[in-house]
Amino acid sequence: MPEKSVGWASKVLAVTAKDITTEFRTRYAVNAVVMFALVTLTAVSFALGLLQPSSEILAALFWVILFFAAMSGLAYSFIREEQSGTGLILRLSASGSVVLFGKMFFNFLLLLALTVLIVPLFMIFLKASPQDWPLFIAGVVLGDIGLAGATAIIAAIVSRATIRGALFTVLSFPVLLPLLVASIEISKVGFTGGNFSEIAAPMQLLVAYDVVMIVLSWLLFDFVWRR
Amino acid sequence: MWWKLIIFAGMSAVIIAAFVTPSPMNPENSLGPVDIYRVFYFHVPQAWIASLAFIVSMIYSIRYLRTRDIRYDIRAATANRLGLIFAILATVTGSIFARMTWGEFWNWTEIREVSIFVLLLIYGGYFALRAAVADPDTRANLAAVMSIIFAVAALFLIFVIPRVYGAFTQHPTDSIIDRGGQITMGPTVRIIFFGSLAVFTALFAWIYRLSVRVADMKYRAETE
Repeated sequence: MPEKSVGWASKVLAVTAKDITTEFRTRYAVNAVVMFALVTLTAVSFALGLLQPSSEILAALFWVILFFAAMSGLAYSFIREEQSGTGLILRLSASGSVVLFGKMFFNFLLLLALTVLIVPLFMIFLKASPQDWPLFIAGVVLGDIGLAGATAIIAAIVSRATIRGALFTVLSFPVLLPLLVASIEISKVGFTGGNFSEIAAPMQLLVAYDVVMIVLSWLLFDFVWRR
Repeated sequence: MWWKLIIFAGMSAVIIAAFVTPSPMNPENSLGPVDIYRVFYFHVPQAWIASLAFIVSMIYSIRYLRTRDIRYDIRAATANRLGLIFAILATVTGSIFARMTWGEFWNWTEIREVSIFVLLLIYGGYFALRAAVADPDTRANLAAVMSIIFAVAALFLIFVIPRVYGAFTQHPTDSIIDRGGQITMGPTVRIIFFGSLAVFTALFAWIYRLSVRVADMKYRAETE
């Protein structure tokens, strides 16, 4: 079998590439995430009108927009497999960890694309400019890793439920709360500018959260995926 | 039968003692009315039972994943159902307690209030997931995995975040009663408090055993 010679990482990338190809056929997840983010962003900046919110509020609003946009589309990569009936073939052709990390990486790329679109629009609409751009970006990317890493297994769980509805958001929110607390803190310092000692603690928390959640998902994934 | 009588006697004794014993608080040093401390005889045991139920269900969830025995899933779900009830009671009594001592029904900077609220969200999510899955084995499996993920996230929230943000625990951690940040537990208060803890734990164990028996019977009736 030629698969045996293929390394684990390239199998993961193959799953990601497959998801990107199918995504470009329907563009469901991209549309959902981008439109949701745009609608929330417009609603927020319209409601604020001429008010100039402080950096605490800006950071919180930014993460509310990102969180709900992520909730609208991240579950789809797993749900699509169940809806189109391709889940069984995927189970036969790849091991659990390959599927998990492939989809996690796909969701991360999706979030990254969303971030690239939403950050400039957020700054323009809300007349905000982070004093410390590198820190702000680093916080957002670490947050994206956590969002993709922690929700992949929840998406797999939701995809096996008979009634889905808002289940993904309901299950994800308590799990993502530590991530949101730390990310908002980092973004706040990113907006005001400040020295590194202020964000060392939330940065450590965020990195620890990302690592723990990804490892935990990897350990538990076979219970969800295998039948 | 004996259980029921002992719990009834114990609970009655705790309730009567909680209301008739004189308040140990000095009115000048008190954050609120001197009698408000009495709610803590009921509030703390309720919060303790809510956490205990979560731990019990956690243990059974792990055992389910190791053995795939559906009876462990029944136990985990039963413990969570009781935990939900006690978490609601603890949130309500805690909110009243907070209003009388700190002046607000709710305060997001107080880690205990945040953690009990997240516990409620977790219970809500757990039952929403169970309701959404039709097949019993799949349901048991997914619910067990989800409660392990919830537990790890809750550990982050309860133990890691307060250590990262000093401001997250605005109130002195021990100021249940006193302005000086001290729990003024005299011997009487101590006896009633630990008595109440014991009675509430026994009550939980009793309801839990009964519910498990009923659920087991229902399961057997459905499968046969």
